[in-house]
Amino acid sequence: MSHPRPTKSDRAMKNLKLQKLLFYGLLFVMTAIYLGPFLFSLSISFNAEQDVFSWPIKLLPEEWTLDNYQRVWQDLPFGTWLLNSVTITVIQTICNVFFASLAGFAFARLDFPGKNIIFSLLLASLMIPGIVLLVPKFIILNEFHLINTYGGLILPGLVSVVNIFLMKQFFETIPKDLEEAALIDGCSYFRIFWQIFLPVSKPALAAVAIYTFQGSWNEFMWPVIVTTTRDMFTLPVGMAFLKNEFSVQWPLLMAGTILISLPTIAIFLIFQRYFVQGVASAGLKE
Amino acid sequence: MKLKVKNKEQSRTAYLFIGFPLLLFSIFTFFPIVFAFIISFYDWNLLIPDKPFVGLANYFELFQDKVFLIAIKNTVVYTIGVVPIQTLLALVLAFIMNQKLRGRAFFRLAFYVPAITSSVVTSIIFVWIYAKPGLLNYLLSLVGMEGTDWLTNPSTALFAIMVLNIWTTSGYFMISFLAGLQSIPASLYEAAKIDGANQWQQFWKITVPMVRPVTYFVVVLGLIGCFQVFDQIYVMSSGGPVNSTTTMSYFTYNNSFKYFRLGYGAASAIVLAIIIFGATWLQKKYVPSEAY
Amino acid sequence: MATVQLNQLKKVYDKDVVAIKGADVTINDKEFVVLVGPSGCGKSTLLRMIAGLEEISGGDLMIDGDRVNDLSPKDRDIAMVFQNYALYPHMTVFENMAFGLKLRKYPKAEIKARVEEAAGFLGLTEYLERRPKEMSGGQRQRVAIGRALVRQPKVFLFDEPLSNLDAKLRVQMRIEIKRLHQQLQATMIYVTHDQIEAMTMGDKIVVLKDGVVQQVDSPMNLFNNPSNKFVAGFIGSPSMNFLNGTIEQGNELKFVAGSVSFGIPNELQLREKLSPFVGKPVTFGFRPEYLYDKSTERQVQLSVDMNITIDVTEPIGSEAFNYFHFAGMEDQTYCFRSSSANQYQSGQKVEVGIDINRLRFFDGETEARIA
Repeated sequence: MSHPRPTKSDRAMKNLKLQKLLFYGLLFVMTAIYLGPFLFSLSISFNAEQDVFSWPIKLLPEEWTLDNYQRVWQDLPFGTWLLNSVTITVIQTICNVFFASLAGFAFARLDFPGKNIIFSLLLASLMIPGIVLLVPKFIILNEFHLINTYGGLILPGLVSVVNIFLMKQFFETIPKDLEEAALIDGCSYFRIFWQIFLPVSKPALAAVAIYTFQGSWNEFMWPVIVTTTRDMFTLPVGMAFLKNEFSVQWPLLMAGTILISLPTIAIFLIFQRYFVQGVASAGLKE
Repeated sequence: MKLKVKNKEQSRTAYLFIGFPLLLFSIFTFFPIVFAFIISFYDWNLLIPDKPFVGLANYFELFQDKVFLIAIKNTVVYTIGVVPIQTLLALVLAFIMNQKLRGRAFFRLAFYVPAITSSVVTSIIFVWIYAKPGLLNYLLSLVGMEGTDWLTNPSTALFAIMVLNIWTTSGYFMISFLAGLQSIPASLYEAAKIDGANQWQQFWKITVPMVRPVTYFVVVLGLIGCFQVFDQIYVMSSGGPVNSTTTMSYFTYNNSFKYFRLGYGAASAIVLAIIIFGATWLQKKYVPSEAY
Repeated sequence: MATVQLNQLKKVYDKDVVAIKGADVTINDKEFVVLVGPSGCGKSTLLRMIAGLEEISGGDLMIDGDRVNDLSPKDRDIAMVFQNYALYPHMTVFENMAFGLKLRKYPKAEIKARVEEAAGFLGLTEYLERRPKEMSGGQRQRVAIGRALVRQPKVFLFDEPLSNLDAKLRVQMRIEIKRLHQQLQATMIYVTHDQIEAMTMGDKIVVLKDGVVQQVDSPMNLFNNPSNKFVAGFIGSPSMNFLNGTIEQGNELKFVAGSVSFGIPNELQLREKLSPFVGKPVTFGFRPEYLYDKSTERQVQLSVDMNITIDVTEPIGSEAFNYFHFAGMEDQTYCFRSSSANQYQSGQKVEVGIDINRLRFFDGETEARIA
């Protein structure tokens, strides 16, 4: 019978507890940093007090009110902006889902002359910084009289190469025999796409939809350039305009920011899995 | 014979399927790329009907334009400041997220929220935070420090926007790193433990090297994003004060859509594109993208 | 000296899932001990507890007389070879083997010497600058062994190291590891699910099932004197035949199972051991290799005879495995081994005998060995 060694174990236990404490403390601080700004924005949006700069700055308002939200709808063309954003985003999302999957299918499953060249070109275009395209796109749209129109806002973003790439990658993982069985059964390629590939691609389609939605809803630079009158602003553009015009009315501004953020946060909460999946797989080798 | 027929049908279908995207691509990407070059050689002003060919005049003017040079400097400083910190922070966050903890989904959401909210929204909130009587200075006062008006002070404005961007995008890249971390087999860490590595050593000798492909991806995306930063500049500082936050993309925007000097703006965009290509080419050449 | 002692070692996961129930095993210096059992029996868990990769819920783990329950793996002076090698893919073979020594701050010269020696020993000298992905499975396994070798630990732990190799390579590596053991004279604990591997490699074998140590013994003892039905059926290939029946007392003590009936011989104290089981369920165990065809093979002095009907014969070259059933019990198949000189037809009736020394009886309820 030998005596158990007392040395390392006790110290190890204490170290472990301290480590755990530090860890959760760090986690708490980080969460506060990342969520804090939104919590304050939320708080100010409900604040009846218009002066948001009086110290001490408190997280919970002393006087609650919904006035700010009311004013956002009444005093500003928020409704118009909302309509614009929704129209553009919905159209772009639907079109992207449909056309990107269609094109992705073609690249994944069909053989045609020039396939590789075209695909390489598309991929290469991803390397072009968006900034270079701004001026020429603007001039082109101008020629077609599409500046400050829905057309100008929607058309350039109708189908994104990234989405085509995503769908192609996904379709390539579907076993070939599914398609071969359908061919023997006499399906046209469109049928195969519509009735066989699409139904099993829900996760990929969801990812495309969510990304397009988020990108379209939050898009700023292009709408800023393309719109010239207030009634054509999208929500982000409208908010930026607000900030410049109503720069001291913080509760109003904050109410606006919360309203704009609601759709994307709601969608993110509901479809969390797909967001995480898509971003994650983009960074890994296949 | 049969094979040819099948291919014809496939080709026809394929062209039909990719037709529309290809059309859009030609009009809004391919042609514009070429067009951008062409415009940069013209004095193309939207308001003036006369658009003479000026050759490389725009480019010469750019490099003598004080504001442009400042913009280059700002953009480079911005990128060099943001990319490394944002990458490291994302990796650390992912490492934390990868540990066993309760409510992991909640924390993952929390760190990711800034990445999915509109840049305008976060910019506006931070204008409030950065104001002289705003939240940041209030918090600093609680620990006895005095803060400046972050966005109107020329020496702090760019820095303030950099911090905002790191805060915004680190959550996005955290997800990428998280996936990378989860693909490292647990047995590697076990072998390292038996070999005698502590947590710190495991992180640097196993985690960091194994996650290199993701790091590469995050850095490339980070570079491309930083070089083109625009939204926050527009909303928070309009390039000021005293051009201290004028980045190259903001410069392009200003000249193209405020002063309507489209040719000049196009030229500045092309210079930016060349810089971006240079940076990514350098990275490809000198930084390994594979873990092993 | 490197002895390992497990005293009532227990492993409980949260929610009261008991993975290891009070294991007692003694591993002597220089012994090659194999932990074997079916999937989920807890052998890997036990090994990992010895390594320090799993926390010990109860009992004592002693290495050389010191209780090491709370020591981290690196302080236990052990080295481990993983099933999927766990080589650091971004390091060269040299760096992989040197890693542990580097962390322990060994001088460069010594690291170089040890690594080169181990590499020479394992035939890896020309691969030192390669990366794992450029090497075959067998080579990678050698690197994993090399990584353990250079550490010169008290105990070597192997976690199913050969499972990922093809059959031929497996046999080759088995011999090499055994040879390694002979040359190093080190204490080795080896986990496998393959009982053939266990039998051919171990000085001592620990048979596990559902977290409980069934028997700890030498290979031959496990084969000849299994302590219960599980061990009897687990060790030996093809496995032991089992026939469930009862003991009946008529004119003489008999074993009866359906159409099979034979008297219990007086020798070997069989009657004393089995008479308490009159009327109780008893399982009769007999190995395929010990049945012989009474008509063609030499009569063993004392044997018990049975009548069987052949179903299928599987010739495998020098021998054949013959599958048969007993009359009236067509749905239960048994096996006996014969030399290929005898060709049996399906439906053929054969009278077989078995030396009474080879009879094994197990309690029908507890499965413990009776005789």
